[in-house]
Amino acid sequence: MTSKLTLHGVSKRYGPVTALHPTDLEVREGEFVTLLGPSGSGKSTLLKIIAGMELPTEGRIIINGRDATEMPVRERDLGMVFQNYALMPHLTVFDNVAFPLKIRKTATEEIRRKVHDALKTVQLEHLKDRKPQALSGGQQQRVSIARAIVYNPSLVLMDEPLGALDKKLREQLQFEIKELHDRLGITILYVTHDQQEAMSMSDRVALMNGGRIEQIGTPRQLYFTPETAFAADFLGSSNFIDATVTARTSERTVCRLSSGEEIAAPSREGFSEGQKVRLMVRPEHISLLGQAVSADRNVLKGVTTGTTFFGESAEIRARLAAGSEIAIRIPNDYSLPEAEPGAPLHLEWDVRQTHVFA
Amino acid sequence: MQTMHALETNTTIGKAHRGRIPIMIRTLGFGTFLLPLTVFMLLVFCVPLLGVARASFYTNGTWTLSAYREFVSGALFHRALINTLSIGFMTGLISVICGYFVAYHLSRMPQRKRRLYIILVMLPFWTSILVKSFAFTVLLGTNGIINQALQAISGTNVVVPMIFNRAGVIIGMAHWLIPFSVLPILSSLLSQDKALRDAAEVMGATGMQVFWKVTFPLSLPGVLASGLMASVIGMGSFVTPSLLGGRQDLMMANLVDFYVREALDWRMASAIAVVLILLALLILSTAAFVRTRLSR
Amino acid sequence: MNTLHQSAKATSRLGRPISASVLIAWLVYLFLIVPSLIVVPMSFGTSNELVFPPQQWGLDLYAKALDPAQGWLSAGGRSFVLGLIATGLALMMGVPAAYGLSRTNFFGQKALSFMLLSPIFAPTIVVALALYLYFATLHINGSMLGLVMGHAVIITPFLVVTTLSGLKHLDRNIENAAMVMGATQLQVFFRVVLPAIKGPVLSGSLFAFLLSFDEVIVSWFIARSDQPTLPVKMYSSIQWEVSPVLAAISTFLVFITVIVSLVSAFAQPENTDGF
Ligand SMILES: Nc1ncnc2c1ncn2[C@@H]1O[C@H](COP(=O)(O)OP(=O)(O)OP(=O)(O)O)[C@@H](O)[C@H]1O
Ligand SMILES: [Mg+2]
Repeated sequence: MTSKLTLHGVSKRYGPVTALHPTDLEVREGEFVTLLGPSGSGKSTLLKIIAGMELPTEGRIIINGRDATEMPVRERDLGMVFQNYALMPHLTVFDNVAFPLKIRKTATEEIRRKVHDALKTVQLEHLKDRKPQALSGGQQQRVSIARAIVYNPSLVLMDEPLGALDKKLREQLQFEIKELHDRLGITILYVTHDQQEAMSMSDRVALMNGGRIEQIGTPRQLYFTPETAFAADFLGSSNFIDATVTARTSERTVCRLSSGEEIAAPSREGFSEGQKVRLMVRPEHISLLGQAVSADRNVLKGVTTGTTFFGESAEIRARLAAGSEIAIRIPNDYSLPEAEPGAPLHLEWDVRQTHVFA
Repeated sequence: MQTMHALETNTTIGKAHRGRIPIMIRTLGFGTFLLPLTVFMLLVFCVPLLGVARASFYTNGTWTLSAYREFVSGALFHRALINTLSIGFMTGLISVICGYFVAYHLSRMPQRKRRLYIILVMLPFWTSILVKSFAFTVLLGTNGIINQALQAISGTNVVVPMIFNRAGVIIGMAHWLIPFSVLPILSSLLSQDKALRDAAEVMGATGMQVFWKVTFPLSLPGVLASGLMASVIGMGSFVTPSLLGGRQDLMMANLVDFYVREALDWRMASAIAVVLILLALLILSTAAFVRTRLSR
Repeated sequence: MNTLHQSAKATSRLGRPISASVLIAWLVYLFLIVPSLIVVPMSFGTSNELVFPPQQWGLDLYAKALDPAQGWLSAGGRSFVLGLIATGLALMMGVPAAYGLSRTNFFGQKALSFMLLSPIFAPTIVVALALYLYFATLHINGSMLGLVMGHAVIITPFLVVTTLSGLKHLDRNIENAAMVMGATQLQVFFRVVLPAIKGPVLSGSLFAFLLSFDEVIVSWFIARSDQPTLPVKMYSSIQWEVSPVLAAISTFLVFITVIVSLVSAFAQPENTDGF
């Protein structure tokens, strides 16, 4: 597969502020890549540099095989969907979608056909004569999407396109964008700070933190094998437990908690005996059986401190013998005899679902 | 915060003021604040205006349309009316065009710098019209600075007539109305979402295309409204045509003056004033209509 | 460094037509500012003819302007007093009215505010004629009272507009908080609202004063010809013969305008684009 976008060591500084550390990134043809990260992590900065609205302090940008580092915005052959739609208020829906085609001096008949097709794709043909102000937020964003794909740009950038919509509409549009991507084979670089959105839509997620890409991979990779505590914490929920490495083989690393209990985890590079570490296990990977002692399971003792019901699941909070608080998520078809505050608990989970971080 | 503190500690104020005004406030509410100016404007603005309308119909104890009949048939009035309209619209147009360049320039600079430049633009606006008229006589006159410079450059005795004619009136009036049209255009340019221009550029538009397809159409309602506004204000002007214009550039305001001072005919002066104010109302309501219509 | 790089890039990206527009903008600035500036050097000339640049420099024109026999001084004094009283009257009526307008929403309010602000849009000559006819019946033409009322009609709407724009930035919850703490409406106005908008009101009244000080048309109709205001005296002077002493008077007026503009610029809050 060919590469639609390649970044080589792109960085951005505003005076003393480093908004983006040198960053490499590749987006392949037809891929859906998401930049995910908390506020201020540099997502918009990266997107603006790619779009050409900001110049990088260092590094090179290759779009569709051409060096675009110094290229004017208009020559980069990009599509863009903005958070606040950025539809021209003086133009009708039709003319908004026709805008990029008119700029390209496309023949009238072809404009009519392409706009029609694009509006049909987002199911808005019937509103083509309205002004954008007369549309709902979701409809406006669909127009904006139609406008970004009507001229087949190499790469479509989307900066928090669903940020201004309510939850229900957001979920529906997530689905529609994903479906559009799969059907038309367009290449999308998407920005969001909503981890659920990133996971459900993307082929790959680039997790950003403090102006750099912390980890990049498929949603499954990020979820099941987070490389840093930040990645583990940002994607999904997580429990952290302080421990010290006591033994290490090529397969297993064994750590001791302050209570003396031992936890095993799959070995990773870069840890040595005696090192202080943080162990992580996701609340939904813990179960409460605690009877079946096997070499593949970790077991801990705790005391219930509280329970919260979420409908489809429940969360039980427990205090470990080692002192720290831990959360357990379990499906709610369960009866929970031990869930009274103060009741002792036996927590148990798969060794492979234990992660060790420095 | 300080004021809050003062409120809590200083309760004597309320007692000292207890009297007629608080009672008024209790019955009229915020209307009390509006009352003095409303009464003043009714008595010293509205009643006098109605007096003008009355004076245009009522002379020597009889009601008559004679003034308006004279207006409709008199060549002098036709000329003044045409002058008023053409000079008004011409200066409105010139002011808006010049004002647009300035407003565009202002809209693309950082805010601190812009504040400084706005003072620069508004300074001539607040300068007495007499100072400017005087300066233009000195600048544009037959022996004026510009003609002297032209003669020095060309080595001939050319004299470009720029004063006591239509050009003089329009130059003088544009000078006054350009700052007037800069502010509304500037505020309409500043209220535009930068994302729209970014979007256009991403879609492949050049700088010129961004301007003509996005920036300009979006600013059009503001431009039209402020152009019409400037025209109306120009049409009412009196000092500039009187000091910088020639005899043939007489505007309706000058005619009002003439009928009051020279002809001592209040009836005719009032009729002209009524026509002038109706004209202003007509254009202003057009402007309001255009603004709501286009910005929808 | 980086921003330099960027702005160079931006202009080259936008191409030549934009820089042509900057050039035109500068020509317009020049056109706007030159007439106000040209009078300054001229006022320091000595000759009786208006030539630029002056052949000789001196303060003769100022001496002439200040000569009581010429009448400029008394006209200036008259305009000054008139401006002060008219501005005071405008403040007393305009600021409360602006507050009333901004805090109410009643039937006919649009019409009322149109009425209160209409002297801004009405051709001044019509207002002048109207006042002239009206004051003739009241026999106050030519009096200071007539001039003060006439000027108040012209400048108060302007003060209302500037006060309104100041009030727009004021958080209404501050007033509500004061009310909850037991303040009366009058106390809220004097102790909460007025202190909060004193910047815009100050700059508005400075400009209102300037407006009155420079007002020609109403005064031209109402003032007695042997007791002219400064602008009326200037107007008749330019009409008959353009005397060099006008350069000195003009410089003085430009100076006042600059002072008023600067003071009001400092009185305005930082983050506004007002004038
Ligand atoms: N023009 C600028 N000048 C100085 N610093 C800036 C500028 N633009 C962005 N920054 C800084 O760069 C960092 C990254 O900003 P960026 O807008 O890329 O964050 P983001 O990930 O998009 O956040 P959000 O989710 O809030 O949109 C921030 O710390 C921000 O303060
Ligand atoms: Mg952002």
